[in-house]
Parts: sequence; C-alpha cells; structure tokens
Amino acid sequence: LNAVPGRAPRQHVRFLPAPGDDGAPGLVAARVPVLADHPLVRGPRFRRLKIGAGHRLDVKASGVFVLGIGHGNKLLTDLYNCHLTKVYTVGGLLGKATDDFSDTGNLVEKTTFDHITREKLERILAVIQGTNHKALLMHSNIDMKTQEAYELAVKGLIRPMGKSPPIITAIRCLQFALPEFQLEIHCLHETQQYLRKIVHEIGLELKSSAVCTQVRRIRDGVFTLDDALLRTQWNLQSIQNAIWDCQLKVKTELEKTLG
Amino acid sequence: EAAAMWWALRAVRRPPPAFRRGLAKPARPRSVRQLREAEEAAPVFQYAGKAAKRKDRVFVWGFCYSGALGVPSFVKPDVGWKKPRRIQPTPYRLETEEKISSAACGYGFTLLSSNTADITKVWGMGLNKDSQLGFQRSIRDRTKGYEYVLEPSPVPLPLEKPQETRVLQVSCGRAHSLILTDSEGVFTMGNNSYGQCGRKVVEDETYSESHLIHQLKEFDSRVVQVVCGQDHSLFRTKKGAVYACGWGADGQTGLGHYNITSVPTKLRGDIAGVNIIQVSSYGDCCLAVSDEGDVFGWGNSEYLQLASVTETTQVNVPRHLPFKIGKIKEAACGGTGNIVLTEEGNVFVWGYGILGKGPNLIETAVPEMIPPSLFGWSDFNPDIRVAHVRCGLSQFAALTNRGELFVWGKNLRGCLGTGRMEDQYFPWRVTVPGEVVDVACGVDHMVSMVKSFT
Repeated sequence: LNAVPGRAPRQHVRFLPAPGDDGAPGLVAARVPVLADHPLVRGPRFRRLKIGAGHRLDVKASGVFVLGIGHGNKLLTDLYNCHLTKVYTVGGLLGKATDDFSDTGNLVEKTTFDHITREKLERILAVIQGTNHKALLMHSNIDMKTQEAYELAVKGLIRPMGKSPPIITAIRCLQFALPEFQLEIHCLHETQQYLRKIVHEIGLELKSSAVCTQVRRIRDGVFTLDDALLRTQWNLQSIQNAIWDCQLKVKTELEKTLG
Repeated sequence: EAAAMWWALRAVRRPPPAFRRGLAKPARPRSVRQLREAEEAAPVFQYAGKAAKRKDRVFVWGFCYSGALGVPSFVKPDVGWKKPRRIQPTPYRLETEEKISSAACGYGFTLLSSNTADITKVWGMGLNKDSQLGFQRSIRDRTKGYEYVLEPSPVPLPLEKPQETRVLQVSCGRAHSLILTDSEGVFTMGNNSYGQCGRKVVEDETYSESHLIHQLKEFDSRVVQVVCGQDHSLFRTKKGAVYACGWGADGQTGLGHYNITSVPTKLRGDIAGVNIIQVSSYGDCCLAVSDEGDVFGWGNSEYLQLASVTETTQVNVPRHLPFKIGKIKEAACGGTGNIVLTEEGNVFVWGYGILGKGPNLIETAVPEMIPPSLFGWSDFNPDIRVAHVRCGLSQFAALTNRGELFVWGKNLRGCLGTGRMEDQYFPWRVTVPGEVVDVACGVDHMVSMVKSFT
C-alpha cells in the first residue's frame, strides 16, 4: 500500500534569495514544494491499519470470514445489527461419540448405525426446524396478538432483532451415505461448537451417535463463497477489487433492513 | 571396622536380582497409533436393531380436573406435598396397554379404542355422570358406579363375538358416546333425553350408573363413520347415505323438522342420492363432503356458517354450499366456525370466532384461505401440505404431511397445548416428540396419536 504513489506534495510560493539583476541580493518569487510534505519528512503513509472482524469462525471451521478495514468497521456493526442468516455446510460421521463433538476429540462411545435411513434423518430435521421456527417467533419480542405480527408471520419476516440464543431457520440433508452425511444449516446467532453439538444431538435422536467432521460457512449475510478471497489471492489488487464489488450490495442490504 | 561390618550387613540384606522390579514407564500423552488402536478395540453398543419398529404413543393435554386426561396423579397426587394439577399446558405422554387406533374427546371425557381382537377394546376416562363411559363398577361398593373415572378404564361392551369383532371408531358428544364396530353395528351409551342414543326417550330416566348400552343395526348398509354433535348423532353408511337422530331444535338432524328424533332416520334434501364420503359435527352445525368435492351443510347458522345460502339462522334440510374454492377433501365443524381442506392442500375457514387469520378477522360467511406459509411452507420446503383438519368447540387443529400439528383458536384452560394460556390468532406449532398421526379435539382438552421417530 505504501508503495503506491501518494498525492503530490503541496506547492507554495516562497520568496527565495537569489542573485537578482546587477549582482545585488534580491528576492525572487518561486513555487517550491512544501518541505513538510517531503516523503522523507512525512514517512510512510500507512503505518497501521484498523481491521475489524465480523462473525467469529473458530479454528476447526473454515469458510467465509468478513473483515472490515478502516471506515468499514462502522459498517460491520450495522451488519451485525441486521441479524442476517448465515449458511453452513456441516459434515457428520455416524457411529462415534467424542467429548468435544468433533472427530479429533477423545472417544466416548461407539454405536451401531445400520438402522438409520435417510427418511429417519429427514424426519428429525423436520422436527428441529419446527421447534426452531417456534423459538424464532418467541424470541422476536412481538406481541402475537396483533395483526402486524400475523402479517409478518405470513410473509416469514419475523426475526429476533436483539440478543437471542442460537436459532436454526432452515436445515436440510444434502448427502447421505452411511456412515457419513452432510447437512446445510441456515442459522442466526450461533457458534460453530453449537453446530457440532446439533450434529451430536441428531445422532442421539437416531438412537446412535454422531460426530462432526467439517463445518464450512458458505454465506455470511450478503457475502458468499464467490466473493471470498482464497489464500493465494491475499494481495492488494484483489482486496481492492473485492471491496469495490461488495460496496453496492452492502449498502442496499443495510438500507433494506435498517431503513 | 564398624563401617566394614555395616557394609557386610548391607550386602547381605540386598534383595536377590530375581525379585527386582523394572522401572515403570511414566504417563505420557498417548501416540496417534495407540489412540487408533484403542479406538478400534473399543466395544460397539447397539441401541436399536436394524428392524426396530417405530412405537405408537398417545399424548394428552388440557384441563385435568375432570379426569379426561387419564392421569390420576394430576387430580389426586400420590405424594402428600404435591398439589393437584389444574391444567396440563404441554403434551404429556399417556401409557396405554394397546396401540390406540381411534380416540374421541367429548365434553369433559375421552374414549380411546384399539383395533385389537382382545376382549378389552375401548377405554374411557373423565366424567361419567350420564354413563357415557358405560358402567364403571366402583371397587369400594360393588353395587354403585364411579361418577369420575381418572384412569383409562375398560368399557364393557355387550358383544356377541368379543374375540372376533373389532372396534373401528369412537365418537363423543356432550353426554353421550358412539362406538362403531365392523360386524356388530353401532353401540350407543350415555344421555338419551333427546334420543341421541337412537332409542326411545324414557321420561325421568336416570342416566347415571346405568348398565344400558343400546345396539343399532338397522341401516341400509354397513356404517363406516359415526359422528356426535352436542346432543345429536350422525351415521354415515357405505352406500353414501347419512342417518341422524337426537335433538333437532336447530335443525341439526337435517330431517326437515325441528323436533326430537329417537330412531336413526335417513337424511334427504340436497344429499339425497349423493355419495357422501365424510360427515363432521361437534356443536349444532353439521357438514358433509361428497366424493365429487362438494360440501353440504345443515343445522345452526347463527354464526354465519351457512349464511352463503340462506339468511335464516336454523337450516333443517341439508343444503349444498356453493363455494368456488376447489375440490374439497375434508371438512370439520366446530361450535362457531368451520374449516375445510381442499385437494391442493389449502385450508379455508369461515364462521365466527378466532378463525386463524389474525385478530382482525372475527367473522366471515365466505371461506377465507389461510396462507400456507403459516404451516411451514416456504421456498426451502415447497412440499409441505396440510393432510388433515380437525375442530374442537372453539379451536382448530391441522396436521401436515410431515407429521407436525398446528393449532389455533381460543385457548380454553390450556387446551391448545402451546404451553401458554393466551389465545392463538394464527396457526402455531405444538411441540410433540414424534410424528403426529391423528388428533382429537374436545372442549378443554385434546388427545393425539403419535408415532415415535425411530
């Protein structure tokens, strides 16, 4: 960033002593650059960058992670207050139960899983979705007896706009091949450990046990995997392009939600 | 010299090498190979076999003091310090001996029936002041009967072939109940002051502690559905005809007059010749659905239930209701509101009261559709459909094809099962640990038949 040529130094008019006519010392007006703007005096333009992080992503998970630079940190708080849903791809493995719900933990129990079919899993997922939908309506702090609550519920726009426990708005099974399965989860206010706990609880409901092998965030509010930069793309040009592309999306979303 | 002696003694006392212990290894974090081997050697537990069947369960909720929930500890706790529970606000599991295939909730009592060939096929609990649960012999005094039954108790039926006949369906009204069997007709018990049990009205008859159970067999063909209104009974036969008996002051018997009928008589009017596939009633209004998707109504119309065809408040002849909402699959009548389900899976409500479209819609004579997004339909789940609709006195219940139960209406003494005491103005999910197969709604309690998940 500092290698980019900065703005040109300011110019001002100074009366410099210079040999005038007839050899007598006189003053000549000359436009010279201000010494205070000299790069060696000013130093590098950027010494520190304020970078803020969006929603947390823990060490064992991967995926979209939103960062704000400089003035973008203010947009980060606004995006947090929008309470948009995040989408995760969660991979699970049946037959094992560990103490930290992931496959790298200490083994607690091994169980059989040949009685599990995709149909049973989908039934459990439907119930999880149902109870979480109920929790969504209850934590949104709207009085259920009003007409506007009914209208928002019909459109599906009821959402908790304050603090609430983790809520799953939608969950479905993408792949099912014993002993592995993959789920797509849309959620609010969650942590990745909570998603691992959900995988463990699904295993318990199916009268077996399950551990979580993979947690990958696909979408965080308006940012999807297509907008995300890979490790090889962590250079100035791609970052600048990414910021430029996202600006419009973020602005429209903020206006729509916060008014 | 003393030192040399000491050293010689020490040399003798040193233990021989054979007994020497090797140095034990200190505890170290186990290596990856050791962890893998320990994991492979761990025992595998089996909680459910490959052919594990899903269990059938019964859940009840609502007002407890009448005993209609079938849990005696709600009314008379077994421990001295516990207080009797007035309302059960969330579903509570009821232990039954057999798989319950049909249940019905009356006004303060419940009947459960099973499809078994054993001798005990029907169990009843709740109010028994008019012997609507049959004669329940008291243990303390063998000549008297119980007025309140707190636990599901067998209902003694006078069957000719008790080990072959199967009970298909039960239905309960205000103070009477009907039991439908496959080969021995319909059994009726309870209050008969309006002839609703299908037998002649006897003046000053005492209905409590009565052993009398009447059997009805004379219909044009086999009876396939029995429905109890508040003080009248409806029978639907295999040929598609509908018979009625009981109180008729609101025209709910549909026989063209407003008098009492004590013998089941066939209905005429717009129904004559039509093949009816479903009848429904709970209060004083009745609805019937034909095989072509038309709906017919008769009875009380004070709450605009039949206002689409007539201005009168009582209709005593079945009238066709010309609604242009599609082919109707199922209908259910409540005390003041009605609900129908069409072939596409849409739910329509009309009548008076909390109809399910927010607090602003109190009454309507024309059916209004409830948006499917309230039942869980969305772009994410586009194939959720409502499969069944049921009605209580002032509540509605809908079952989806995923096995979820939605209720709405007046929350009388916690009968909605949502866990809250407030009325519910739009469909709300009831959290039941299982897939709900069927639900029976009463005045202040509900019973549901549920299959467990795995």
